[in-house]
Amino acid sequence: MKMVLSQRQREELNKAVADYLSSNGYMTALEGFKKDADMPGEVERKYGGLLEKKWTSVIRLQKKVMDLESKLSEAEKEYIEGAPTRNKRSPSDWIPRAPEKFSLVNHRAPVTKVIFHPVFSLAVSSSEDATIKVWDIESGEYERSLKGHTDSVQDIALDSSGKLLVSCSADMSIKLWDFTQYQCLKTMRGHEHNVSSVTFLPSGDYIVSASRDKTIKMWEVATGYCTKTFSGHREWVRQVKVSPDGLLIASCSNDHTVRVWVIATKECKAELRGHEHVVECIAWAPDASSSAINEAAGADNKKGAYEGPFLVSGSRDKTLRVWDTCHGICLFVLEGHDNWVRGVVFHPHGKYIVSASDDKSLRVWDIRNKRCSKKLEAHQHFCTSLDFHKTQPFVISGGVDQTVKIWECR
Amino acid sequence: MNPCAIPEMRSDEKDGRWLSQHNHHISETKEREPEVVLIGDSIIHHLQLRPIWSELYEPLHCLNFGISGDKTQHVLWRIQNGELDNIRPKVVVIHVGTNNVDDTAEHVADAIVAIVNETRARLPEAYILVVELLPRGQNPNPLRDKNSEVNRIINVKLNGLLKVATVCGDLGLVQPDGTISHHDMPDFLHLSDAGYRKAFENVSEVLHQLVFAVEEDVALSE
Repeated sequence: MKMVLSQRQREELNKAVADYLSSNGYMTALEGFKKDADMPGEVERKYGGLLEKKWTSVIRLQKKVMDLESKLSEAEKEYIEGAPTRNKRSPSDWIPRAPEKFSLVNHRAPVTKVIFHPVFSLAVSSSEDATIKVWDIESGEYERSLKGHTDSVQDIALDSSGKLLVSCSADMSIKLWDFTQYQCLKTMRGHEHNVSSVTFLPSGDYIVSASRDKTIKMWEVATGYCTKTFSGHREWVRQVKVSPDGLLIASCSNDHTVRVWVIATKECKAELRGHEHVVECIAWAPDASSSAINEAAGADNKKGAYEGPFLVSGSRDKTLRVWDTCHGICLFVLEGHDNWVRGVVFHPHGKYIVSASDDKSLRVWDIRNKRCSKKLEAHQHFCTSLDFHKTQPFVISGGVDQTVKIWECR
Repeated sequence: MNPCAIPEMRSDEKDGRWLSQHNHHISETKEREPEVVLIGDSIIHHLQLRPIWSELYEPLHCLNFGISGDKTQHVLWRIQNGELDNIRPKVVVIHVGTNNVDDTAEHVADAIVAIVNETRARLPEAYILVVELLPRGQNPNPLRDKNSEVNRIINVKLNGLLKVATVCGDLGLVQPDGTISHHDMPDFLHLSDAGYRKAFENVSEVLHQLVFAVEEDVALSE
């Protein structure tokens, strides 16, 4: 075997061997070795114990490597599973953590919206590729596609039973789908431009939609007829959300405002101003958020707390704003995203807001302290949408990179 | 008459690609909401094929309306035929003129000014950023000299116009000995990844300021 030692290293090894022989009294071998290695004279003192040192250090370093490796695997386990701190955290503090559980690939154009099914372990996504796709979130498998729209599908929503799906598209139509048979039941036309948002009333009897034609429309599920039109926004209406009690609609628009409408009377109850660019998304706060929002807003208990209902909005001005719709005021602003905010949801337990942005990240905001407590580098391109599962610890996100990602919360 | 400033469709492509690209741009104006539109020739078009595009331009919500081989008259035609309609970008970036090889510097410069005016007519609020014509040819040559002359004239003619500015694209492309490296311009006309960094990183910084800064705070740096 050819030695891979340098001249200098070989000399050092020879001297270390000579020292070893000498210090152990192997004098015959030492003399023979000195002669063979052409190394006359005394062995210098600095080589004393060198061979033993090297010998033991290999074992010591091996042990160290094994220790570090086991520490690394423990750290990795903790990072991935959240242990042991996970057990100490209550579900109300579970937030999405990297890495993603699944990265789902099948769309052929940017993903526009992602939602969870309320009953089955399914997720649904819509895309600019004009399809709606269904995913199994336990296995990470692609299930099927719903085809029918002829242009970008902009938004989707499921009713509370999960048996009906509604979708809207840049093809100006709204489609109602039987989500048990995966068949299109009705196509509703009436908007005069791109339909950007659609949702069900909690009762499931009506659908509400928003469009680039500046209007919001309400449709009866049973007949497919448009029963109400809400006019007032001066530009493209981006999103509509119905309040949990089913009495109010919140909408946001390219005109920089958020509006709150009384469904029964079609009256615009509040016009919320503050954002400096297009308002992309809104979400109603669950009751569980009231105390955190009041604390963040600095509400004084003596004067009485804000009662809500509360709303959060996300804008192209990179900020999120939390509003008290009763008084029509902005309570506080969450700043941190580096680009347009595209999606926003409340944590079901109320302590956090989670947002999706064109800065490619998801951010988790601690409401009480009004600060970003977690940033996830979620997608390779703009992050367009997200949803938080109402009962299970999962968050889903979609992006212009055409992927859908499932994030486990812990 | 200045032939560079008379809007004209391209007729040199028998496969209709030019019109197809124009039509695609039109469809994008109907669907997208860009904050920045870049319009011009291959220097603009190829930018979207480079790493610097996804890194520095995509986050700004850009649309790229560059078409390889376009001369000033073709860009003028495209603007007059809808490429800046239906959208409200905050900034329009222009680079065109280097393909007008048979025209005089005065004519090319006047045509660029005409493109700026055409853009202003459609987008009264937008900033218009004219990227100075890039140098070309490995060694100093009449076309490179002409491009410099075009840049000199447009700087004079555009000076003082509200919300219009020129930006220098030649930051270190021409070396002290007057040559251009094949590392920056492999064919001595189009830019490599490295060349784009030299020429267009600077542009993206200006864009970032214009797109994200509050209106009053913005001062266009020459």
